Amino acid sequence: MLTANLARSRTTDKEIRPLFIDPTDGRYRETAGELIQLFESHLDEPKGDLEDAIDELTVADTDYKIVQGLAKLLKDECEFEVVASVNPHDIRQRLFEKANARYPIVRQPTLGEDTQKLEVYSTVADELGISLEECYRGMYADLEDNKRLVRIGTRTADQYATGGDSSTSTTALTGSSDEEYEHTDLTADWLLTRYNLALAQAVFYDAIEMWIRVWDHFGTVFSYVKLFGLMHRIYPIDANGERVASTDQAAGYEAVLDGPASLFSKSQKYGIRMANFLPALPLCDRWEMTAEILVDETTDETRAFTLDHTENLDSHYSAGNKFDSDVERTLAQKWERSNTEWELVREDDIFDLGAEVMIPDFAIEHPDGRRVILEIVGFWTPEYLESKLAKIRKVEADNFVLAVSERLDCASEEFGRTADRVLWFKTGIHVYDVVDLAETVAVSSEPPSGSE
Amino acid sequence: MQVEFDDGTLLLRDAPDDVPCAEWDDRVDEYRTQAYRYRSLLEWAGAWEDGNDQATLQDSFAHALEDAARAYPALDLTPALHIEPRDYQQAALDAWVDHDRRGSVVLPTGSGKTFLGLQAIADAGVSTLVVTPTIDLMNQWHATLTNAFGDQLPEPVGVLGGGSHDVTAITVTTYDSAYRYINEYGDQFGLLVVDEEHHLPAPTYQQIPEMTIAPYRLGLTATYERPDGKHELLEDLIGPVVYREDVDELAGEYLSEYETIHMSVDLTAEERSKYDEEYQIYRDYVDSHEFDLWKEEGYAEFLKRTSYDPQGRRALIAKQRAERIARTAEKKLDTLDNLIKRHHDDRAIIFTANNDFAYEISQEFVVPCITHQTKTDERTEILERFRTGEYAMLATSQVLDEGIDVPAANVGIILSGSASKRQYAQRLGRILRPTDDRQPARLYEIITDDTMETYVSQRRREGVSA
Repeated sequence: MLTANLARSRTTDKEIRPLFIDPTDGRYRETAGELIQLFESHLDEPKGDLEDAIDELTVADTDYKIVQGLAKLLKDECEFEVVASVNPHDIRQRLFEKANARYPIVRQPTLGEDTQKLEVYSTVADELGISLEECYRGMYADLEDNKRLVRIGTRTADQYATGGDSSTSTTALTGSSDEEYEHTDLTADWLLTRYNLALAQAVFYDAIEMWIRVWDHFGTVFSYVKLFGLMHRIYPIDANGERVASTDQAAGYEAVLDGPASLFSKSQKYGIRMANFLPALPLCDRWEMTAEILVDETTDETRAFTLDHTENLDSHYSAGNKFDSDVERTLAQKWERSNTEWELVREDDIFDLGAEVMIPDFAIEHPDGRRVILEIVGFWTPEYLESKLAKIRKVEADNFVLAVSERLDCASEEFGRTADRVLWFKTGIHVYDVVDLAETVAVSSEPPSGSE
Repeated sequence: MQVEFDDGTLLLRDAPDDVPCAEWDDRVDEYRTQAYRYRSLLEWAGAWEDGNDQATLQDSFAHALEDAARAYPALDLTPALHIEPRDYQQAALDAWVDHDRRGSVVLPTGSGKTFLGLQAIADAGVSTLVVTPTIDLMNQWHATLTNAFGDQLPEPVGVLGGGSHDVTAITVTTYDSAYRYINEYGDQFGLLVVDEEHHLPAPTYQQIPEMTIAPYRLGLTATYERPDGKHELLEDLIGPVVYREDVDELAGEYLSEYETIHMSVDLTAEERSKYDEEYQIYRDYVDSHEFDLWKEEGYAEFLKRTSYDPQGRRALIAKQRAERIARTAEKKLDTLDNLIKRHHDDRAIIFTANNDFAYEISQEFVVPCITHQTKTDERTEILERFRTGEYAMLATSQVLDEGIDVPAANVGIILSGSASKRQYAQRLGRILRPTDDRQPARLYEIITDDTMETYVSQRRREGVSA
């Protein structure tokens, strides 16, 4: 992400807007291309040299703040490592000890007993069994500026969640972390699109609260809410964004996001988490977002920051797999081929369980408006099963049904008030068993009419 | 009721409706309160046990309380100190203990606030987080705490900030790092020590005390009162002022005498032509835009322009290049070479305001070096070796303030013409002491002639400010 000093936005009486750039603009494409080349040409070179080169880069007609911002985003995708054959701290400690016994170490010897630095370096190099050059260069190889650019990749959302803003590894003398990197080609398109998203993210550093509305990809969105440690209040909404009474009538969901301490005072503490969360929204086909941004700390003055799916923001986060398990995928395939009026819809409901949400695997809907909600309890480890059961026991919907594997070590009583709506299965779930169960428990999703 | 630490707050599970200072959290359907209410919550429930006192259980008012929040251990520490506390330090400690180990102590700069902190940590006997405003101060506390308690702790003193992320039973950190991470570690410390606590009342920093459960708190400052009056918040977050000593009662006690020697060097012919070329680019740009560079706004305006005007950008680069040439002038190293020959039996600190130059000197003369990048434990190690005489010389780009952690030297060499050089000279001068055989301490200043270094220094001496 961008550091706060690289943010670019405009604040008016009404709102705050990032100063987005046009990714098709020739001069930005040229700048982005030049920067990517600069990074690639510095592979295996010291970080300090790369930074000096960026610092001295003057690209015609491009605001230097944009150059620095683009460079920061590229740096975030880089890995810098200490390259030294012996721990640098050991090298220098030996050097200082050796030198201290022989002071003065001088450049121009005038007295017979004067020592020159070469003697000290070669003595220590011999002791450690390394070359003179390795000794001299290795002495401070662990300085940030002397770390080498070893990899340019793309980080995953989990790394943003756990790694903070640190893009350098501090201890690794050797070793690689290939598996943590997705190797995408860094292109001017990628960088400029990423930059616009980062400008939007930077506005959130002073955010107090965030309202989102989404109409699809619920599971993905709420898994990112959880990943970045945000708390939520959730309301089902219809296609126009109006709140509705139950999830059975919901076309989408509205959520207010903040953190634990927001209860006591308006806190910017969670702004960084909201910034990290933002890229989850462009994974949805239709979304809206409004955030309250603190623009003056002394007066508590705030402005609204609004975005939606028409902004052409692109996400670098993963939308995840469509199905969590083979059982789910197989059921969906069987349903396609079956002959029933009931329709199977993926992850259509959200149960708000307080600290977290539960998003059942499927909803099953009849054209006449009846619907049931289906959760599949497949093959899980005992710990995972226990947390799953704890969630299921909190669900209060009467049209909530379960399909549970007989191979699991659990009994009906463990499902709380859903105990009498369980369908046990051996290896796969049969479509018509589910339909039968649906016929008995389905409720109508039509809003209650005026008459009692 | 169960009290649980949750992301910088206390979640009160199954709490009664009369639980004090709590808000109903409709997101999780439980009461929640701020972490710093931990102690008063336990006191209300009759579950508070002070280290030495018995729990005061009021039968009629006792609520069953399960404390799942506390994650900090008790520690049995005795500071390994070679000096007796001064009278006012002892009085300040006593006052703090009498106020249930909550409150602020106001003492003038240089009166040993760190020393008082050590005694408070030993007295409270619990794991402790020390919060400081700068990395310099964090490093000083680290060195002091390591000297005092290092042998008695199972793990080294922890550092959170300045590139380190090691949290142990006694940990030092900066305001910025503490603000960022306190919601993760706010349950792991029983004592919170806040150095220069007058910085605390800010919407961000005040979350540091708010998000920790520490029942014991000690604030230290020389200037408690803030012009905006916000120091009033400290009473709630840290505790009342329990002790105060005035400035003039202590001032002027510990000063050292030294003589200052100014030396100037010329640029080499090659350096000179490069310097003039770059400086001209900068000068032309500045002159053509009429910035008043001696005013802060003027310089800020210049910097602002450099972000969108390519020519301005080039001017800034030219200025930086010229400064670098003057700063690292070849003949400065020759002069340093001579000084090192002359003083190789002395204890010398070589100061440069620039990191790169400090490392260049370290490699050239094979002397240990401390910069802002030096990890806290290596810094402590180098200073310890300098103290014991294992190292006779030290290069640094950091201002080493006098205090418990910096051993005395008798030679100081200043190699850089930074704008605030005067201030550095004064501060460096304070750590200089005469030798045992009464040779006076010396402070050398080496400046490059006919560059911005001399210009800056002259303008300042002439008193041209605005």
